[in-house]
Amino acid sequence: MKERMQNSSLKQEFLKNWIKGLQLHTNFNKNTTILERRKAIKLSADIAIASTRNSTTRWSRALISDASRDGSNKTLIEKISGREAPRKDSFGLIRCSKKIMKRSRVTRQIRARKAVLPSVVGASLIEKKLVKSRTRALKRLVPGGEDMDEISLIKETIDYIVSLRVQVDVMGRMASVADRLIPFKSL
Amino acid sequence: MMDTEYFINAGITSPQPLDFETITSMAWNALNSEVEQSLLTHSSSVDQYSHFESAFSSMLSSPSPSTSGLSTDAFVLQELIGKLGGGARNSGLLPPSATTVMAGGGYCHDVNANTSDSCYGTPLSSPPNLNYPILDQVHAPKLGYSVPLSPLPSFSTDPGFAERSAKFSCFGRWSFNGRTPPLAGINNAGLLPRASTPVMENGKLSRISSSPSLKQDESQLKSQELCQPRNETRAPINEFVSDFNEKSTVSDQIPVAETGSKFSNELNSRKRKPVPRGKSKEDGSTLAKGFEGDDDANIKRSKSAESGKIENGTAKPEEEAVDENEKQKTNQKPPEPPKDYIHVRARRGQATDSHSLAERVRREKISERMKLLQDLVPGCNKVTGKALMLDEIINYVQSLQRQVEFLSMKLASVNPGLDCNMENVPKQMYPLDSSAPAFLNINQLHNPTPNRQPSQNLSPGGFGFPGFGEGDLLSIFQMDQTCDLKVER
Repeated sequence: MKERMQNSSLKQEFLKNWIKGLQLHTNFNKNTTILERRKAIKLSADIAIASTRNSTTRWSRALISDASRDGSNKTLIEKISGREAPRKDSFGLIRCSKKIMKRSRVTRQIRARKAVLPSVVGASLIEKKLVKSRTRALKRLVPGGEDMDEISLIKETIDYIVSLRVQVDVMGRMASVADRLIPFKSL
Repeated sequence: MMDTEYFINAGITSPQPLDFETITSMAWNALNSEVEQSLLTHSSSVDQYSHFESAFSSMLSSPSPSTSGLSTDAFVLQELIGKLGGGARNSGLLPPSATTVMAGGGYCHDVNANTSDSCYGTPLSSPPNLNYPILDQVHAPKLGYSVPLSPLPSFSTDPGFAERSAKFSCFGRWSFNGRTPPLAGINNAGLLPRASTPVMENGKLSRISSSPSLKQDESQLKSQELCQPRNETRAPINEFVSDFNEKSTVSDQIPVAETGSKFSNELNSRKRKPVPRGKSKEDGSTLAKGFEGDDDANIKRSKSAESGKIENGTAKPEEEAVDENEKQKTNQKPPEPPKDYIHVRARRGQATDSHSLAERVRREKISERMKLLQDLVPGCNKVTGKALMLDEIINYVQSLQRQVEFLSMKLASVNPGLDCNMENVPKQMYPLDSSAPAFLNINQLHNPTPNRQPSQNLSPGGFGFPGFGEGDLLSIFQMDQTCDLKVER
């Protein structure tokens, strides 16, 4: 019961942030195409849900930093999250170093693979390969996941899933409200 | 031969009116020693058992002339035996209820006579065959004195009964599941069978609320509410769970935002790299001291792998995240030295190498978190194995992301109206704190009357919920109308 209340507070916060972002957008651009609108809505929603975490999780930080790469979004981010958009440097450096590490790891892996040619591929090997490929896929899905190790990846995934659900929930409700309020949809 | 024994006894059945209660208690005492012996010996004779219960059923079917009270109980007991017989093929734990039958049938003296090799060579089959349902039924008399046994007052009067039954299952569990601590982990009540006996699991932990239910059907909520309340004692190797335990208030009441912060704490205190050799020697000594120091206070932390520590004094034992240390500090443990290491006890039959210990800790961390994920992702319960679960998780995340995109497209398609709303009704949308729940409740109303025409929507009683100011709604609707009129494409 309490959890539901806390959950709803999360939803409220998301909604607040999101509407802030939408307002900003509508203030700036009056006549926009539907695609632009969609982009703006999604962007606002993403930044809103990321800012509910207050930069405590990596995916949220990565999401915001990704959004702030494009200079035009900076005001949006600042307005929504209420704090300065993160400067590119700090995240960029981290990314650079991690990328270097990753590259060396990849070359090592390639070398290892070439060296070892198992004649008989056991079930465990297959499973390991599967698990590896899937962790890679998951890393690609979760924002900022590339630089994480497995344990923190799972943690981040949990948090990310929760936030995604909040997002979907609130947006869905907004959509159905819009359905009701605006009986004649206009494209 | 044993069959004849049973039948003979059935015939003889106590001309003397043996008191039912005393019989059962006697028999139970005797039986306990037997069963404990047999537990230790692990004799496996399933056939004996099947003979046993067939004999019982036959005994029961012919009601004994001695105690008339038995006949009424006999039916109940017969049911129970039937159930037990069905479930107990594999396992060997002798259900306590059987003893009452025997006692009732005047069989107890035979129990006393034959020490080890009677039918009480209670067949304990090999460990993997332990049948959890039996354990449940063993507990049934203790726990609820559930229906079949309710007419038997003797159980309730036997004080040691509960302890012994508890001991059995505990003992059995330990011997069979020697590898795993009695940690039920973070499970739903129904997730894993071994979480079924709440008596045993002192390390049992409820499901951590990083999985709040967001579903509107609240099915998940209910399952969360079913979780057992969290115990204070933690299982040995579980700092992740302990993190949540410490940081969360009571099981499911942690706000999701806080879990985010908790994640951050753990993220910030990352895995430390192995301490260089020079340092570790000192650390080893401090560790030893510290360990002795808090041994009594430190139920929560797992014991150090002494052998691992001493042997690999230089290659230090694992230190994963230091959150537990920090927490311990903030908890009433000032004398504790700031330890950086998680003490792990090497399990029996496993390598005590520090690397393998670290591996094991890491693997267990991962598995604990995967369990959390399992709770989150619907339909993951039936799936076992890392690869499949990861598959499900990936699918779920992808579907959620796609849903977000779809919804944003949908909203973009109706956006002109929304935009007008957003522009013109900013103040009325906030204060969101009070009105947001109501606002969000709009959709929950699911009005049966599809108010398609704005005029109907304008009626104040149209939505009929108190929180949202009706004036606000009206203004929104009016805005909608104007917006619709404006937008002509």
